[in-house]
Amino acid sequence: MSREQKFSDEFLNAFVDEELAAEDKNSIYREISENETVNQRVCELRNLRELVRFAYADPPAPGAQAVRARRAVRYAYGFTAAAVVAASLLIGWLVYQPSGRPLSSVPVVAVQEPVKVLVHLNVGNPQRMRQTLDEVENLLQFYRANGQQARVEVVVNGEGLDMLRADTSPYPERIAHMQKEYDNLTFAACQNTIERLKREQGIVARLLPGVTVIDSGMAQIMRRQHQGWAYIRA
Amino acid sequence: MKKFLSIALMTLLGLGIGMSHGLAAGYGKQKVVYHFNVDDEKVQKAGLGNIQNHLNAVGKENVKIKVVMHGPGVSMLRRAMDDVAMKTQIDNLKLQGVDFNVCSITLERQKIDKKTLYDLSDKDIVPSGVAEIAHLQSQGYVYIKP
Repeated sequence: MSREQKFSDEFLNAFVDEELAAEDKNSIYREISENETVNQRVCELRNLRELVRFAYADPPAPGAQAVRARRAVRYAYGFTAAAVVAASLLIGWLVYQPSGRPLSSVPVVAVQEPVKVLVHLNVGNPQRMRQTLDEVENLLQFYRANGQQARVEVVVNGEGLDMLRADTSPYPERIAHMQKEYDNLTFAACQNTIERLKREQGIVARLLPGVTVIDSGMAQIMRRQHQGWAYIRA
Repeated sequence: MKKFLSIALMTLLGLGIGMSHGLAAGYGKQKVVYHFNVDDEKVQKAGLGNIQNHLNAVGKENVKIKVVMHGPGVSMLRRAMDDVAMKTQIDNLKLQGVDFNVCSITLERQKIDKKTLYDLSDKDIVPSGVAEIAHLQSQGYVYIKP
């Protein structure tokens, strides 16, 4: 299976619907942590699934409605892609027009390595959650004020998961606001914790919109540090 | 048999001591940042103890240690004002080259007067505690949170 096929929408949909075998699941988890585009796509599909599930209280597996909704999303993708291609063609045509000279007048922006920070929360105390959100927000504001490119990822596991669960989070609005304000911020929840919750307490954790799922919080921390991310425990 | 066992034990013991010496020598140079962000006397005192042990194990000439305090963690220096034991711990660590840095965002937001914090001078104040920790890690500092 080629990489392209492997990460088709169908494949990612199957992943979101938890229809994949462990090996395929792991390959996607790996991809999510390394590839921002795939991460975004999975996030969108997951949101869509949540919306569908919410709209059709108790959906019997992915029914016709879900398929139609997904088809709509795919059309939307197609349309966006077409629009992007058209826009690039237009820009290309404008830029290279008569003399065919490349876009040399545009100043080359110095490539600045973005700062990458993983913030880890594993306690369920609302006070600590608030402090974590404060710290993350201060950090993002600080980088923004200093024109420093940055990426911040909040990883929760154990009791920390409560912060990102729709039914338990004390700060859903604040998190939504932060996600909107900072596109360089991601919230990630540990799949192991989600599964344990289901196994031990029969709780199906519903996550806040836009929250990414990673295979294991601890594995993610190790991976990120290998990739040059700073690690901070909230 | 008994004799054999005791010889074997002695050999193992000897090996163990030799290896631990080798390891101590093999730690090489270290750069470490210790992170404090909770207002908990036990955690703070234990953390300061960890740093002293760290220095003892590696040797102060082999390690650069920076303490970064922000949020509720800043209370460590407030506590040290009235706590002689803590004051002594901090003084000793400073004498061994440990830096104690405080987050300026915390001081501003919580309107903390610098004079209420033990032995804090302007050079100890960093613009953002969390950004400082991230930066130090990019400079090769290892992160430890007591």
